[in-house]
Amino acid sequence: MSDTEAAKPESAPSAEAPAPPAEAPAPPAFAPVVAPRKKKKKEVEAAVRLNKVTKRFGTKTAVDEVTLKIKAGSVYGLIGPNGAGKTTTFSMMAGYLKPTEGSVEMLGFAPTQVDELRSRVGVLPQDAVLPANDLVGEFLLHMARLQDFPPEKAEEAARTVLAEVDGKDWWSQRCGSLSHGMAKRVALAQALLGEPEVVLLDEPTAGLDPRVAYEVRQLIKGRRGRATIIISSHNLQELEEICDAAAILDRGRVVASGSMTELTASSEEVHVKLGRGTKTTGAPWMQQVRDLKMLKRVEIDEERTELVVYFERKETDAETVIAHVLWILLNAQVKISGVTKGRGLEQRVMDLT
Amino acid sequence: MSPIVEIRLVAARELRRSIRSVKGIVLGVLTLIGSVLSILICTWLEGRQREKLGAVSTDAFVELKRQAIEKSTGDASLASHLAAVPTSLLLFLKITIWFGPLLIALLGFDTVAGELQHRSVRFWTVRSRRSSFFAGKFFGLWALVSCITLALNVIAGVVVVAKGYVGGVALVTWGLRFWATSLPITAAWAAIALFISGMFRTPILGLLSTFGTFFVLWLFGLGGFISRVGDMLESGEAKAMSWYEYLYPNAYDEMLLSSDPRSVVTALGILLGFAALMIVSGSALFMRRDI
Repeated sequence: MSDTEAAKPESAPSAEAPAPPAEAPAPPAFAPVVAPRKKKKKEVEAAVRLNKVTKRFGTKTAVDEVTLKIKAGSVYGLIGPNGAGKTTTFSMMAGYLKPTEGSVEMLGFAPTQVDELRSRVGVLPQDAVLPANDLVGEFLLHMARLQDFPPEKAEEAARTVLAEVDGKDWWSQRCGSLSHGMAKRVALAQALLGEPEVVLLDEPTAGLDPRVAYEVRQLIKGRRGRATIIISSHNLQELEEICDAAAILDRGRVVASGSMTELTASSEEVHVKLGRGTKTTGAPWMQQVRDLKMLKRVEIDEERTELVVYFERKETDAETVIAHVLWILLNAQVKISGVTKGRGLEQRVMDLT
Repeated sequence: MSPIVEIRLVAARELRRSIRSVKGIVLGVLTLIGSVLSILICTWLEGRQREKLGAVSTDAFVELKRQAIEKSTGDASLASHLAAVPTSLLLFLKITIWFGPLLIALLGFDTVAGELQHRSVRFWTVRSRRSSFFAGKFFGLWALVSCITLALNVIAGVVVVAKGYVGGVALVTWGLRFWATSLPITAAWAAIALFISGMFRTPILGLLSTFGTFFVLWLFGLGGFISRVGDMLESGEAKAMSWYEYLYPNAYDEMLLSSDPRSVVTALGILLGFAALMIVSGSALFMRRDI
């Protein structure tokens, strides 16, 4: 491990997602065709609330007193290694699993209150297999009808959402004949059917080729601001790119949570990757960097040949720090391989789990 | 959305799925072949019976049948009622309801277990109440079995009419009645199959458990039947069914065919009540389980 500041242990395993970014959301690629007959909404600030939720399977505790509050409109990530409890937490939010202790609230209702949540929540389960004998169109149509779309509007809604996942030509194909990527997108289509207010996505890009994964990410980004999106994934780069906030889980507990900026400390530290063979000990430029008033602390990670500078976010910003540090390094003709704001989500997760 | 609409949508989809599946098609074809063979055997038996009694008038033939049925059931009113029924159709009904559980077990064992195994159920439970999903699955299975038995009865009717054993009117009245008789019985079997299917995530376990349960119920029926035959041979009189025979859904066929409306209503009440109990309890367990 580098000699950077050790991860702060988070005593309270609770998390509150920040509000979505202030900038206006991108206009939707597809306007909702027609809204299904939705139930009267309960005005809620938090789209999803988990209150000291525990799930045990026999003697094994998969999720241990997890408390989360995910604000309406945010894109929220559930992060963690295998067995961290992400999918279990996700499954409790979707109502697939019943918490052993604690409570889960989705838009102010228990996830099992299907009639209240019908059409308001869309879920992409990780490993659910599409019914092999159903035609794609038939399957989506059936889902739309169950979401209370009027019969005459259900097909239009199903075709629109299928087009949104770039699958309009698959309408008459059997679900069983679809490739993994195609099936994943059909499953995503059913999750997005009817403009749900909350979309739960479990490993939405797992097993997809890079191009399709990119398209799916774009699709999710396109929903930003139109729905609260909760993503459980191993793909940290993806989550860092998409999410406003996240919770990092390990062994069933929330070990860190907050906005992506907070998690990656991108507003508090800058990492400068130095060229191979760069001498750091006793180098004059090191002293020049240390002398910068805006910096709180300067460290060298010898193992990674990385210069890490820490600053107070209230006093300056990362861009100003980068400019000053790079000016010194370039004048000293130090080779630079890369510059990153913060530790990066991957490093943060590695530190914590 | 009302639970009834949910049930209707799930049942219609279940029916469509079953008809399209390889299992559904294979079982359907095998059942139809079996039914053709069965009705040919039934008509052959009736033909031999008629040949044997060739010298006897139609009235005397009916009277002989009445006596035989009364002797085996101990119910004079039922005997009078059924004496006029074409023998081959009656035999065919017996065969249909005897093989019905086998068909239901093969069609129904993975109805819920298959969805749990592949987790497809997760697409439904965010849109439909679990109880509606479960009930919809039941009605879908029951509708499928009812369609198959209707097809069997139509085939049997065509063969019997072609043989000249029954006229068009008798066929429609008795044929429909026999089919209607099979409905509550298949409802009870389908409900048991679904109850068991909802308890397992692995369909093969569902299949074995369904077969095991059906076999135990069949043993109850067989045990009661053997006991009654024994009593009849000893005393010359047919005795009432033992309590455990009432656990075997097929045992209600005679009550359902009775001329006494009270017997019909009682049998209907018991069978449909039993089916409802299985669906409600199966649904309650399904609502509480992790999927």
